[in-house]
Amino acid sequence: MFAAVYAAEGSNVGVLVDVGRAFSPRVEEHLPREVVLDVDGLTRLFGDARTIAAEIRRAAADRTLRVRVAIAGSRVAARLLVRHRAGLTIIDPGDGPAGQADAEAVAQVPIELLLEIMPPPDGTTLSAGRVRTYQKESQERVRTLRRWGLRTMGELAALPPDDVAARLGAAGAHWWHVARGEDHEPLVPTVADERFEQSLDLEWPIEGLEPLSFVLGRLIEPLSAHLERRDRGVAVLHLLLRLVNKTVHEQSLQLPTPMRDPKALRTIALLALESNPPAAGIDRVTVTADPTPARVLQHSLLTRPVPMPEEIATLMARLNALMGEGRCGAPAVVDSWRPGASAVALFAPETTTRAATPVQCLIARPPPPQHAGKRVPGAPVPGGRSPAMALRRFRFPIPARVTVEQGKPVRVATDRRGMTGGRVEKSAGPWRTSGQWWEDGKTSQAPSAVTPWDRDEWDVTLSDGATYRMFSERGTRAWFVDGLFD
Amino acid sequence: MAKIALATLESALRDHKLDRTLTTALPPLDRVDPAAFVPTGLEALDAHLRSGIPRGHLSEIVGPRSSGRTTLALQLMAAATREGELVALIDTFDRLDVASLVAAGADLSRVLWVRGQAVSRTESAVDPRWVPGEGALRSVRSGAAEGLVERTIDRALKAFNLVLQAGGFGIVALDLADAPRIALQRIPFTTWMRVQRAVEGSDTACVLVAPEPVSRSSGGVTLALTGRTTWSGQTDRSRRVAGSDMDVRVVSPRRRVEGQLRVGATTHEDRAPDYIPRAAC
Repeated sequence: MFAAVYAAEGSNVGVLVDVGRAFSPRVEEHLPREVVLDVDGLTRLFGDARTIAAEIRRAAADRTLRVRVAIAGSRVAARLLVRHRAGLTIIDPGDGPAGQADAEAVAQVPIELLLEIMPPPDGTTLSAGRVRTYQKESQERVRTLRRWGLRTMGELAALPPDDVAARLGAAGAHWWHVARGEDHEPLVPTVADERFEQSLDLEWPIEGLEPLSFVLGRLIEPLSAHLERRDRGVAVLHLLLRLVNKTVHEQSLQLPTPMRDPKALRTIALLALESNPPAAGIDRVTVTADPTPARVLQHSLLTRPVPMPEEIATLMARLNALMGEGRCGAPAVVDSWRPGASAVALFAPETTTRAATPVQCLIARPPPPQHAGKRVPGAPVPGGRSPAMALRRFRFPIPARVTVEQGKPVRVATDRRGMTGGRVEKSAGPWRTSGQWWEDGKTSQAPSAVTPWDRDEWDVTLSDGATYRMFSERGTRAWFVDGLFD
Repeated sequence: MAKIALATLESALRDHKLDRTLTTALPPLDRVDPAAFVPTGLEALDAHLRSGIPRGHLSEIVGPRSSGRTTLALQLMAAATREGELVALIDTFDRLDVASLVAAGADLSRVLWVRGQAVSRTESAVDPRWVPGEGALRSVRSGAAEGLVERTIDRALKAFNLVLQAGGFGIVALDLADAPRIALQRIPFTTWMRVQRAVEGSDTACVLVAPEPVSRSSGGVTLALTGRTTWSGQTDRSRRVAGSDMDVRVVSPRRRVEGQLRVGATTHEDRAPDYIPRAAC
């Protein structure tokens, strides 16, 4: 049996859910102000169905809610009746066939109520546009039924179902079952908001990461188990450390992907604390997780495995702790003409690999030629694609002394050991490049991304055989070595 | 007589199944599993290497400046990312030019870039004894800078080990191209043994980029490069860097793919030969 509870306008559905939970753990929420309870088995606690309905109404009144209550054998019948009739409505199943009482009870309900109790088919996952389209189609369907001369559910239920389905489609067939008070979907209980948190008060303050790792392990393992039971992963992990100096050390770790592996979470937390340690001994440790739906992974036997997001997150945490924050990630180009402009983006490759399988490798690649290893030394390779020549950038350009004759560099010297310079064998340039000049003078301590540049670039091959990219600042006429072609 | 003795010895070794462990004078293996190699993306070199750089081994790309070491390493990584693999570059002295990586055709989202210390005087502020050919004639540099370079290399090696231990990468490259010779020699040889043990049996091809041979596992290859920059244009105003001719010498005792070939590289920048003021926007 199901009880539908429909509150007066302006009521808070949250309070209504609380009222329902006082009677049954299986409470389904329907916005904006309706809940459905599974009241099977409550007769032994409260008495008959009418008593249960009266108790529900009384409990709601205690919370200043005015409600209607309908109890029927199916959810749909209870929902239709609670909207159709005021007060308490009880449908006794009687001795007839199952569902007959519900069908007879809803027979007088007007078909317009179908619009109120029929949500979009996929619940709330549809976009707003799709929901509007669905509602428009539903209204059109009701108008069609009205044109057929149908007014009540009973009249709709009396039509042959196949003909209804042929004329109104799958939605029409579904409506026919609803008009008979038949459930096609089970009750989906609303899950209460859970707090994923673990705390531990320490008898003695701890200092250092090693003892803390044991404490974190003890807290994170039950937290992970809790998350696993609810099929949730951690989106953000919050660490709250109450220190002996009465301050709270707080750290929030945004995880690149939902995860709940206790070892990975503990390692990430420890590495974060290693780079940002608490200022004093720790009195109390609290770990809180912001839950998010867990990932669903499908591994493949035919593709090369790629690291799991947990492994990548752990690796990145270790690398960041070793190399410094922001020094590890995926290289990214930036929208700038600045020579050598680049950035480091978050390294989060797709979990699904596109790597070729061994079978694909065999198909795609031709067998190695038999003459491999017998090529004539120095002979050019026919048909080979020429690779793009790479540049090695000096992040700090090396100051150089350049002798210029007839507008061209002819000799380069630097004070830096290992790069003595030499005579310019060949040169090409200049290529002028400038930018961010509109920022000039505005900020003296601007970051490098917005500092202006104005330079003439040259490519030179020196007598040592190496080819460099050099530039001269147009303002100061100072020369620098910017990179090496390699 | 000598031939008979040699034949007898080889026959005895074969009988005791020692022929593949005690001698390298064996015919090359005909059966090549392409999945056990990472293609370099250069057809000629792949053909020469019998499919590419071997996985599960430590290989190296060595050569002097402007010989094409970085070009070849980036090509290798780009080819792997095009196959959908993850690659990692431990950029010891932060020398990667992202535009060059893009020009090589890499999928940047599949590249892990570990930026080392951008030592402003890395290549230059090092001990002259470290620089090939410089000798010990120059004054000895300060100990602070020496320590900085060594610390930078040490940190890069740690990052290298972390990435290898994490696993799952098709290629893990360590760029030591600007490391001074003496600094490379000071790296304990056990370091490379540990690297080899870490990568052994995995699907990862480990690649060192260095100025000279440092370490190679028994199954790996050494690509020794010499190259020269090629220029196009006859006049001063039309001249520009056209690319590079790379002579690749392959050294691989076990797999017997030794030999030499030439690979041409072109510049990826489409620069006009004339003076072009380029305004920023």
